[in-house]
Amino acid sequence: MALAALLRRMTPLDRLIVLVLLLASAAAFALIGHGPRGTRVVVERQGQVIFSAPLGVDRTVTLNGPLGETQLRIRDGHAGIISSPCAHKVCIGMGQIAQQGELLACVPNDLLVRIEGQEAEEPSHDLISR
Amino acid sequence: MSLNRPLVILLLFGVLALFALQQCRDKPQSLSRSRLLMGTVVEITVLGDAPEGLEGAVTEAFAALERVEQLMSAHFSNSDVARLNASGEAVEVSPETAAVLALGQRIAEASGGTFDMTLGRLIQLWGMETAEPHVPDPAEIAPTLMDIGPRALRIEGTRISKRAPDLQVDLGGIAKGYAVDQAIEALRRAGVTHASVNAGGDIRLLGDRQGRPWRIGIQHPRHAQTILVTLELEQVAVVTSGDYERFFERDGIRYHHLFDPRSGFPARLCQSVTVLAPSAAEADALATAAFVLGPEAGLSFIASWPHAEALLVAADGRRLLSDGLKDRVKWP
Repeated sequence: MALAALLRRMTPLDRLIVLVLLLASAAAFALIGHGPRGTRVVVERQGQVIFSAPLGVDRTVTLNGPLGETQLRIRDGHAGIISSPCAHKVCIGMGQIAQQGELLACVPNDLLVRIEGQEAEEPSHDLISR
Repeated sequence: MSLNRPLVILLLFGVLALFALQQCRDKPQSLSRSRLLMGTVVEITVLGDAPEGLEGAVTEAFAALERVEQLMSAHFSNSDVARLNASGEAVEVSPETAAVLALGQRIAEASGGTFDMTLGRLIQLWGMETAEPHVPDPAEIAPTLMDIGPRALRIEGTRISKRAPDLQVDLGGIAKGYAVDQAIEALRRAGVTHASVNAGGDIRLLGDRQGRPWRIGIQHPRHAQTILVTLELEQVAVVTSGDYERFFERDGIRYHHLFDPRSGFPARLCQSVTVLAPSAAEADALATAAFVLGPEAGLSFIASWPHAEALLVAADGRRLLSDGLKDRVKWP
């Protein structure tokens, strides 16, 4: 058989090359097919990015809006608003976000917080009607 | 048949390159952008094989949304609505505002006045959009309901007149949906064929999600982090009206923003109503009307409107589905 004859003719270096190529194929599949988990927090005002930071580094940042100062805390891979000058504090009540595409918004203070990056797995839905 | 070493290595490289190329080719380009507009988060997602042009299309769509806000928000002093509210005479408005008023009037008439675009005085009295909303005295409510109703506005082309000079128009129940429709039209004009526009839950879908339907989760009206049901949809608008969107509580009673024009108080018969319709403007207004009508009457009303479907959650938690939705929902 051709395959058996081929294997007999292969030197150790040949086998090493074939192994490296097979591993490269597997790595390409893993990287292209799934991708790394998203890790950035991005804050926008009127369509412009005003702040961006890695989700993996704990910090508290003060963001200025038309009403005053909003504090955004990044801790343990989650981002949340912990203080805001707005009347209803809906933005604080929105809790913590960590997954790619999740949003926090303070409409009165004109701040939009989003998580960017690639999803670890396919979500059960694309959009939510609320 | 003999195989030599360089040929084998070349073949392996070729297979690897083809595989990598296929993975890249199969992945559609997508672009999502969010802005705070109309008092909510608006998110636009476009899908396409060619990334060039997607950014420009999204910019055009946001411009369309901003234009509608500037025409129809009472907060902009030069808007059509602000001028109409300030005037005791007939006012010339843009063709877009006239179209929204005409559609709203059709839905107001068909729903027996449960959808009403002339509740501005009532909404101001309750202070629902202020930091300190309150429960007004019934004696204060009665004057705000005078002269309202489907015939409160006279629409002659783009010339609009009010039945009473102090009547205040509020397009909160339809303009956001119309803005979503205009954003979709802007995307379509730019050549986009697969997209979604989501304005705080008022959603319209253009095409499918490239090879599969869009999966739309409907929020549970009493558990904010839970999905009540998932719908697989394409080329349609989905809007939900619920008593949990904007509300305050006094003495253990929840007062929300969906008013019954017959009483001047928040409607009590539903927790939420989700409507599917060809346009988001229709779905927006139909959802409000059905919410006020209540589960059974609301379902009958939606069944009477062409190409509309609905999921209603009654005040007691019962879930009612229109016939066209019964086989299309996925319960968790």
